[in-house]
Amino acid sequence: MTDTEEYHVILFDSVHYALRSEKILKEMGISHKLIPVPRHISSDCGICIRFTVDLRNRIEEALAGKVDIREIRPL
Amino acid sequence: MTKIIDAKGLACPRPVLLTKKALEQEDTITVIVDNEPAVENIRRLGTTMGCTLQTEKKEDGTFLIHLSREAGKGTAAPLNVSCATGPLVIAISSDRMGRGNDELGYVLIRSFIHTMLSLEPLPQTVIFYNTGVKLTVKDSEVLDDLKKIEESCVSILVCGTCLNYFGISKDLSVGVISNMYDIASTMAGAGRLVVP
Repeated sequence: MTDTEEYHVILFDSVHYALRSEKILKEMGISHKLIPVPRHISSDCGICIRFTVDLRNRIEEALAGKVDIREIRPL
Repeated sequence: MTKIIDAKGLACPRPVLLTKKALEQEDTITVIVDNEPAVENIRRLGTTMGCTLQTEKKEDGTFLIHLSREAGKGTAAPLNVSCATGPLVIAISSDRMGRGNDELGYVLIRSFIHTMLSLEPLPQTVIFYNTGVKLTVKDSEVLDDLKKIEESCVSILVCGTCLNYFGISKDLSVGVISNMYDIASTMAGAGRLVVP
């Protein structure tokens, strides 16, 4: 991954959803990264999942029906 | 005319020292800084020197601090600069942050390391020991962050005894293998030592 790639993040209402998503994505071998929610998005002490835009469909399919997602948005 | 001290971009404790020097000559000054710790330190100095203070935050992220005091008062106040003078050193003693829940601790330490990249200023050295060394080897999930930190000229010291203990010396993927002499002297020489 390089800085020139475009990232999106998935926000969750619970840390547990973020962890469950991470587990699912790891099992499926889909590249992603757990990061603190960037300050410009929220001042919550939360975590989110960052991924490159090209993976968006795969990730949404992988998590559909398994995890509640609050929002997916550009980083 | 109020004297204006431009202390933007200066590392601690320079803004405080410039402020003190100016207050020894003037009763009313305005200091411009670009970070909150500097504001806090100048506020403390100003209070010690008997000034009233007013701080303005500008849209470009800088702060204007107006200091004034009654003529001739409080000039002899001692300077107690609270900033340490040595480098910032971060010691990662575990692959978890905090105690209590391991799953959560692992999330937190990864978040911490990711956030380290955006610290201003960056630490001079990051030291890994005990289970912390597991974060520096092949397949570590923070390797990309640690490599970026290393590319930013932060030195990364990894405890050789610890790598050896866990049998992962050959998997080291970032930083240099170090020994207790270097680790102890780096920690002892730090101005601030942060242990997450």
